[in-house]
Amino acid sequence: MPILEVKELKAYYITEKYGRLYRVKAVDGVSFQVNKDEIYGIAGESGCGKSTLLKAVSGLLKPPLQVLEGEVIYNFGDDVLNILSLKDDKQRRQVRGARISHIPQGSMSVLNPVRRIKKAFQDLIRAHLGSMERSRFEEMVKKHLDALGLDWSIMQAFPHQLSGGMRQRLTIALATILKPDIIFADEPTTALDVVVQRGVVQLIKKIKKEQQNTLIMVTHDLAIHANLCDRLAIMYAGKIVEEADVDVIFNQPQHPYTLMLLKSLPKLGDKSIRVSAPGAPPSLIHTPSGCRFHPRCPEATAHCRRENPELLELEKGHRVACFLKGGC
Amino acid sequence: MVFKKYFIPRFIQYITVLLIGITMVFIIPRLLPSDPVEHQLNRMTAQGQYLDPAAVEEMRETLQELYGLKGGLFQQYLIYWKRLCTGNLGPSFTQFPTPVIELIKTSLPWTVGLLLVSLMLSWLIGTILGGIKVSFPNSLLTRFMEVFAMGMRPIPYYIMALVLLIVLAFVFPVFPMAGGYSMGAEIGFNFKFLLDLLRHAFLPILSMVMLEIGGWFLQMRNVASNIVEEDYVVYAEASGLPRRKVILHYIMRNALIPQITGLALNLGFIFGGALITEIVFSYPGIGNLLYSAILAGDYNLIMGINIFSIVGVSTAMLVIDLIYPLLDPRVRYQ
Ligand SMILES: Nc1ncnc2c1ncn2[C@@H]1O[C@H](COP(=O)(O)OP(=O)(O)O)[C@@H](O)[C@H]1O
Ligand SMILES: [Mg+2]
Repeated sequence: MPILEVKELKAYYITEKYGRLYRVKAVDGVSFQVNKDEIYGIAGESGCGKSTLLKAVSGLLKPPLQVLEGEVIYNFGDDVLNILSLKDDKQRRQVRGARISHIPQGSMSVLNPVRRIKKAFQDLIRAHLGSMERSRFEEMVKKHLDALGLDWSIMQAFPHQLSGGMRQRLTIALATILKPDIIFADEPTTALDVVVQRGVVQLIKKIKKEQQNTLIMVTHDLAIHANLCDRLAIMYAGKIVEEADVDVIFNQPQHPYTLMLLKSLPKLGDKSIRVSAPGAPPSLIHTPSGCRFHPRCPEATAHCRRENPELLELEKGHRVACFLKGGC
Repeated sequence: MVFKKYFIPRFIQYITVLLIGITMVFIIPRLLPSDPVEHQLNRMTAQGQYLDPAAVEEMRETLQELYGLKGGLFQQYLIYWKRLCTGNLGPSFTQFPTPVIELIKTSLPWTVGLLLVSLMLSWLIGTILGGIKVSFPNSLLTRFMEVFAMGMRPIPYYIMALVLLIVLAFVFPVFPMAGGYSMGAEIGFNFKFLLDLLRHAFLPILSMVMLEIGGWFLQMRNVASNIVEEDYVVYAEASGLPRRKVILHYIMRNALIPQITGLALNLGFIFGGALITEIVFSYPGIGNLLYSAILAGDYNLIMGINIFSIVGVSTAMLVIDLIYPLLDPRVRYQ
């Protein structure tokens, strides 16, 4: 049994402006499974719906975001949970932060600027473990901070007094202190400088190994996927277009979009100018007919313009959504 | 350290603002063509009194002395400050020779009472409802509130005040038409008098609360609804914190910062009086005093009231500066 199973998930932003309904089809029929202990990567240009997918999967649904279809099932071993069908928001809250946690984007100001860091830990721990004695709380946090190479003294600081890298380490500490079963990391290294980025990736890797949680890593940075993930899904315009083991994606990519992404990566020793992916990602309000990638696809046929290819298994563990690669 | 780097510059700024403001109050009347001394002398002669020139000259001297208009400009300025420091704002022109400070002293408590109560009430209600609106966007109470706030805005205040007065004091005489208390009431600290006070203050306060509540409500709603979108609120939700916690410590806590600054600033404005309210309800406060002073050209009185509001507003600004770092740690005492 996979620890996370997402079935035909559709999550749209539905807004109304001057009496007209706008539907941003940010996640449009996405299915995938993540196995326990695995690192599952999700890649794709910005705006393709990665963050929205994470929100929907963790049940963070706030207008205008709505789930129209689909199921998200967690199997924690001792407990199977269909998070979208939970009637009670309280139950969802109990899962979030404790059994599934988030490491948000590095640039994000995810800590309340007017409260001390310590409060963030207090709030989190109190929400999930109830109130505890101060000494026990301090001991617990100290131990965890030690393991992450952070100093207790930052607990008294306000967020603006810390560097971006430090803040990101703190959010990693927050996301892991309750030893969650699944960690969702959404662009955790974006907006950090390269040296700090490496440190953050190493830290995530280290904790994951110690706590043996499952990690879902979302980033547009393929280099990070290459040296971190076990499996990788490529997303384009609200859909997964290819999914396989990481080395399969990098060595035998099948989908034209994956090829395009890989071509834009710099290679060691190669001095030729990299072509960045030509064209722009489509609007998610007025999505192209047929295959959403066809306007940018060098090999598109008339069939591609009419019909939408399904994500089908090409060989074991390698799924592709393309008519040219045996799709139908 | 904190004291030297944060408080002292702000205190110097405060003193500078006061100096400039109060100096302006000194200069402006002296630039006007009319001379209060001649004005008063004319009025006396116009009343048909016969005064021999020597007596007129003597009186002119006395009046100049009283108004601080004797000697050169610089000498006048020094005397002006000397008198100010002893709380002497000179005599009133219309109610000669009652000192201006006495007139202000009798009017100020009425204004302060009226404005303090209506400010606190409208701030509290507006802020709380604004907070509820953002936390429960679909609640019936706050939807009504929103319509009310939007609907009230374009109505000119004096029209609303007059309508209240006509409906609740004239057509249905539930409340008195005018004044701060009933004629012939025994002034004292007893239940009967307090009730009388309340009855008289009710309509003015109601009118001001109705006017101001919408502003506080909309400000709170706008600030809080922006905060709801902030990353730290989304992250607090993603961490599974209880809804109550998120609302109180992540949304309201941060939205209160501009609300509190606004409140402090408005507290400073109290000393300027509530002109229209006091006129419509014939309330014996500073606004009415200022109004009659302006009509009668009572310079000393106008100057005195201005000085009070200058001190009020700049003190409020100083207080805001001093408490701001407590509210928002991003602004440290440095
Ligand atoms: N609150 C929102 N309302 C409407 N559209 C939104 C909202 N948030 C994101 N979107 C749109 O949804 C699409 C997917 O966004 P997102 O999931 O953030 O992409 P990614 O994380 O891959 O960069 C984008 O086109 C974006 O403009
Ligand atoms: Mg994103």
